[in-house]
Amino acid sequence: MALQFEVVGRFNRARASKLTLPHYVVQTPMFMPVGTQGTIKGLTNSQLEDIGCQIILGNTYHLALRPGAELIDELGGLHKFMNWKRGLLTDSGGFQMVSLLHLADITEEGVTFQSPVDGKPMLLTPEESIQIQNKIGADIIMALDDVVRTTITGPRIEEAMYRTLRWMDRCIAAHKRPDAQNLFGIVQGGLDPVLRDICVRGLVERNLPGYAIGGLAGGEDKDSFWRVVAQCTAALPEDKPRYVMGVGYPLDIVVCSALGADMYDCVYPTRTARFGTALVPEGVLKLKHNAMASDERPIDSTCSCMVCKNYTRAYIHSLVTRDAMGSQLLSYHNLSYMMRLSKDLHMSIVEGRFPEYVRGFLRTQFPKGDVPQWVCNAMEVAGIDISSCCAPVPV
Amino acid sequence: MRFVVTKPSAGAGAAGKARLGALYLGGGGAAPPIETPALVVPTRRGLPSFISRDLLDRLPYPDSLLLHLSPIHFIECPSTRTIKNIGGVHEMVGLQDHFFIASPGDSVESLPEHGGTNKIGAAFETPSGRRLINPKDYMDIISSTRPNLWASIADEVPAWVTEKRNRLSIDRTLKWLDDCLSLDQEKGASTLGAVVGGPNIEHRKKMCN
Repeated sequence: MALQFEVVGRFNRARASKLTLPHYVVQTPMFMPVGTQGTIKGLTNSQLEDIGCQIILGNTYHLALRPGAELIDELGGLHKFMNWKRGLLTDSGGFQMVSLLHLADITEEGVTFQSPVDGKPMLLTPEESIQIQNKIGADIIMALDDVVRTTITGPRIEEAMYRTLRWMDRCIAAHKRPDAQNLFGIVQGGLDPVLRDICVRGLVERNLPGYAIGGLAGGEDKDSFWRVVAQCTAALPEDKPRYVMGVGYPLDIVVCSALGADMYDCVYPTRTARFGTALVPEGVLKLKHNAMASDERPIDSTCSCMVCKNYTRAYIHSLVTRDAMGSQLLSYHNLSYMMRLSKDLHMSIVEGRFPEYVRGFLRTQFPKGDVPQWVCNAMEVAGIDISSCCAPVPV
Repeated sequence: MRFVVTKPSAGAGAAGKARLGALYLGGGGAAPPIETPALVVPTRRGLPSFISRDLLDRLPYPDSLLLHLSPIHFIECPSTRTIKNIGGVHEMVGLQDHFFIASPGDSVESLPEHGGTNKIGAAFETPSGRRLINPKDYMDIISSTRPNLWASIADEVPAWVTEKRNRLSIDRTLKWLDDCLSLDQEKGASTLGAVVGGPNIEHRKKMCN
């Protein structure tokens, strides 16, 4: 194990922690931006450091395609290749099975992809995935899992869950750098609590450095989503980090943190920035709207990021449909927002004011009291009273 | 702003040859002078491409203080009123200490198109199509953006046009200069006159005079 996990604050299921990794010491709850091919689109490393980014995600599938694991290894690993001194996490390539399914064929041996670069077949086995990740050299690496969309029903989900456990053993056996890289297991099982329980137990038996909850954030209803997270966080070890993959929206992160999750990743903040949408405490702000053309306010008056301190909505509006700089500035702001969210979650738990923080968050996002029912249900399980945020139900 | 020749050309017949200079930006800033010849950094809507203000600070100083601004980039938005309310281009792009030199054309998004230019105004090819800009519209943008220096609009023509067309470009350019100056609240204190005349050296000399 190449990490240390220390819980430094709690409120019921929620926890704040100090996670010591080979390259960096991080605070959780924590959001990790996605730098699929070794870069966050539109931002430099120095900007990422300025906004407080702790860990960046890379992707095995994409990095193996371009520039290639051998090249990265020869040049000293991904940290050196992209000149990033803080934490790195690489995904196994498993999610590409789902997102690029039209290019993939899944068998017990592994996943055969048709390379989008040159059309050649590319076989990704658990062993190959770990070998590539060993060469990339990230602080945290993910096991290759058999990912199935939660919107699918039937025996395929059970098949995928058991295969994930079998592939976990192959990943462990293939992992050559356990002293420098932490191999996380991924809980699968769709929306079936029985399958999820079997998978959690199986992974916990293998005594891994950390655990991820996978297969979510793919179109399932929110009520099912939080219940799976709640079930898994309740069953996973207290003294190991918990990572909900593919999450996400700020609201989802607040709920999952209340339920006991620690780490999150998603392309949403940067992707939505490239479509002209800014993240704000009230929800989202669409900079393309004509109303923004003469709005002289900053994107978010409560935000102290470089963009909000220097640029008006009107100026950003003039960029977003015409110039890449618009995407760049919005990406900067959106990631600043996510880093601030992470920091606020951590500090509110440490300082014993987490429920107040959650209520403040919900009041700002839902000023009319229309907090979604799934959030109310989740917070009840988390033991946080949000009744003051919800409008009374009409009689 | 103040410009000083620090090392003139040497020898007989040296007028019009290369020289070294120093550009003092003034404005109360403590920036050392910029040595000339100097590159003016191109911008798109006031910001260098892909370089936000925090990254611009890391470029060589004080040379990176000189920025080019094309007023044509602001034809559509923000409106001149909005730009004025924000406080001009320096405030709008968060580069209060930088020195903006405005001229209509650039090499990417605002390309002079002599075929569309007429007595009303100069034409430019932009990403949103060909735009015709007259002195009044141009000066509206200049007065709202408030660059440190600005060049008047010119009827730029390629070297292969006829002599008649070349003389017409000179007449129009001079007229537009007068029109721009008449609309300038500073009465030309920050104006750069544009010298046209094609390959005809005599036309160019007369225009300089």
